[in-house]
Amino acid sequence: MSAVTSWVRETLVRDATERRIFAALGLITVLLVVGVLTGVVGLRFLLFQIALVGMYALLSLGLNVQWGYAGLINFSVAAFWGIGAYCAALLTAPNSPLGLGLHPVFGFLAAIVVSAFVAVLIGIPTLRLREDYLAIASLGLAEVIRAIILNERQWTAGSSGISGIPNLMSWLPLTDSATTAAIVVFLIAVVYLFLRRVHRSPWGRVLRTIRSDENLAKALGKNTYRFKMQAFVLGSVIMAVAGAFYAHLNLYIDPSDLVPLTTFYIWIAVILGGTGSNRGAVVGAAVVIAIREGTRFLNDIGFIQTLGVDLAPLRLLFVGGLIILIMRFRQDGLLPPKDELIWPAARDGSGAGGASPSGAASDGGASSNGGDDR
Amino acid sequence: MNDDAYEGARLDKDDVVLKTTGLEKAFGGLVATDDVSIEVERGTITGMIGPNGAGKSTLFNLISGFYENDAGRVTVNGEDVTDLEPHERARKGLVRTFQTPRRLEGMSVREAMLVGPGPQKGESIFSLFFSGSDVTEEERANIEQTRELLERFEIGHLIDQPSTDLSGGQMKLVELARAFTTNPDILLLDEPVAGVNPTLANDIKRFIRELNEEGQTFLIIEHDMPFIMDLADPIIVLDQGKVLMEGSPDEVRSDDRVIEAYLGGAGP
Repeated sequence: MSAVTSWVRETLVRDATERRIFAALGLITVLLVVGVLTGVVGLRFLLFQIALVGMYALLSLGLNVQWGYAGLINFSVAAFWGIGAYCAALLTAPNSPLGLGLHPVFGFLAAIVVSAFVAVLIGIPTLRLREDYLAIASLGLAEVIRAIILNERQWTAGSSGISGIPNLMSWLPLTDSATTAAIVVFLIAVVYLFLRRVHRSPWGRVLRTIRSDENLAKALGKNTYRFKMQAFVLGSVIMAVAGAFYAHLNLYIDPSDLVPLTTFYIWIAVILGGTGSNRGAVVGAAVVIAIREGTRFLNDIGFIQTLGVDLAPLRLLFVGGLIILIMRFRQDGLLPPKDELIWPAARDGSGAGGASPSGAASDGGASSNGGDDR
Repeated sequence: MNDDAYEGARLDKDDVVLKTTGLEKAFGGLVATDDVSIEVERGTITGMIGPNGAGKSTLFNLISGFYENDAGRVTVNGEDVTDLEPHERARKGLVRTFQTPRRLEGMSVREAMLVGPGPQKGESIFSLFFSGSDVTEEERANIEQTRELLERFEIGHLIDQPSTDLSGGQMKLVELARAFTTNPDILLLDEPVAGVNPTLANDIKRFIRELNEEGQTFLIIEHDMPFIMDLADPIIVLDQGKVLMEGSPDEVRSDDRVIEAYLGGAGP
């Protein structure tokens, strides 16, 4: 029990602003639950939104590995997401141009393999150079992938898109929307725990050094190219998994979602949440989706109707306004990374940091729980 | 100064850690490093001085592999490292610091120090999940080493500070300590006391000397004459990309060519 309380103290209520942020998130959750119970908010709608937020959270976690850890500027988030979505759609939908109708597992596997392959391909020429070259190349890649999907109709069905993508795990005794929501929560948990472990490790430390001063890392004998490649591939694979999940969430995919706007939503989510922070990435994604989806209903509010303006299309304006506010009042984002990231098990006994011993107690193995999140 | 004045470095040393032969580098029409051959003997503090633009930093970048040379070779412990990347040279025991170290954002001093030792097991994602206890053990040892080193350098109280809060001089000390954790055969220090207050500069001098007495070899670029004259022996003097001469501090001080180079011997 003390482990839980210290975890809460270390993680959730570190400073007054964070306390307020978590209080606000808690309040919104309560309101949504009340909304569902009173029938104001449809459960099905809410579960779909949770799945959507979850997917964006995965994308943000992926970008956070690249930009937040290693400082890699990747403008092709939408492309890796699209690669994942199309891998899933092409392999699993019976009426896709490939017409295979395979089990969704193969879609996810293909998403991982293809995205890793493309990431390596784009990484080889650019990651040895200054960071701006990856930015330029990835911007180009995003459009190339979109153009290929749009134009190679014989393989991708082009602009007409692919429908008939099967639901995931429809054998579960839940509604389809509840199943997808549960799956995305599971995916986030797995990715989050994985990333938390690597972020606090010597591996993560080298990446953060590269982000601040790549030459220093080289001078200390670190093969920065290899580290950057690993971060780039890891982030891209997470994005592709999010894409594959989206295909099974939306059950339909077409190239119009692969526009640069999707990429920039994810960038906003990462910056808003706190660059370099895993929990920030998740919260940032939730905020961006809340604004994007929430503004659809603005015009239904009586007061706004009397104004006679259509507010819904202004959603980007709201996102932009929020960014300005955050940058003005909380420059490091909503939940910035903590100051010190030390391998939790090694803190204990060496007098390192003000960590709670709860995380340090669970030494070794892959399932180090407790400790503090970032 | 005519070409005959360039005597070159001494190339008859016994136990050579670092050796360059005929290093050359030109940026467009400007020859920044012109046929530089030097030797650094094990166990010495070798100084490198020269007026601004003499090519000291370029030479450091060539030796550490951050610039590609046009001609010449670099050997470390007799092994040719000319074709190796900077990080590979570092692993061969040739480690450098930078004139203006950038602060590691979001890292404590402890973390900034822990980047040094390498290669670490925990730098492989695979080990993180399949041999976590080895990673823990190594990390503990490294944290302990960090604590000891910082205490030895009398900045143990800074260990929890964000590295962005350090003063320039403290940063230089952390850099020196971190470079030392790599266990180098030769440490190249690029202006270790530039912009450092005199008290701290004296501390740095003392620590460098201490490490040297324990066997650490140094090659140091420094503009602060009293500092380098007091610390280093021998001293290599560069001028216009070439090695002017090499000698003890006294020899350097009394050498007319050196004085001419410094006092604006721009004429032929």
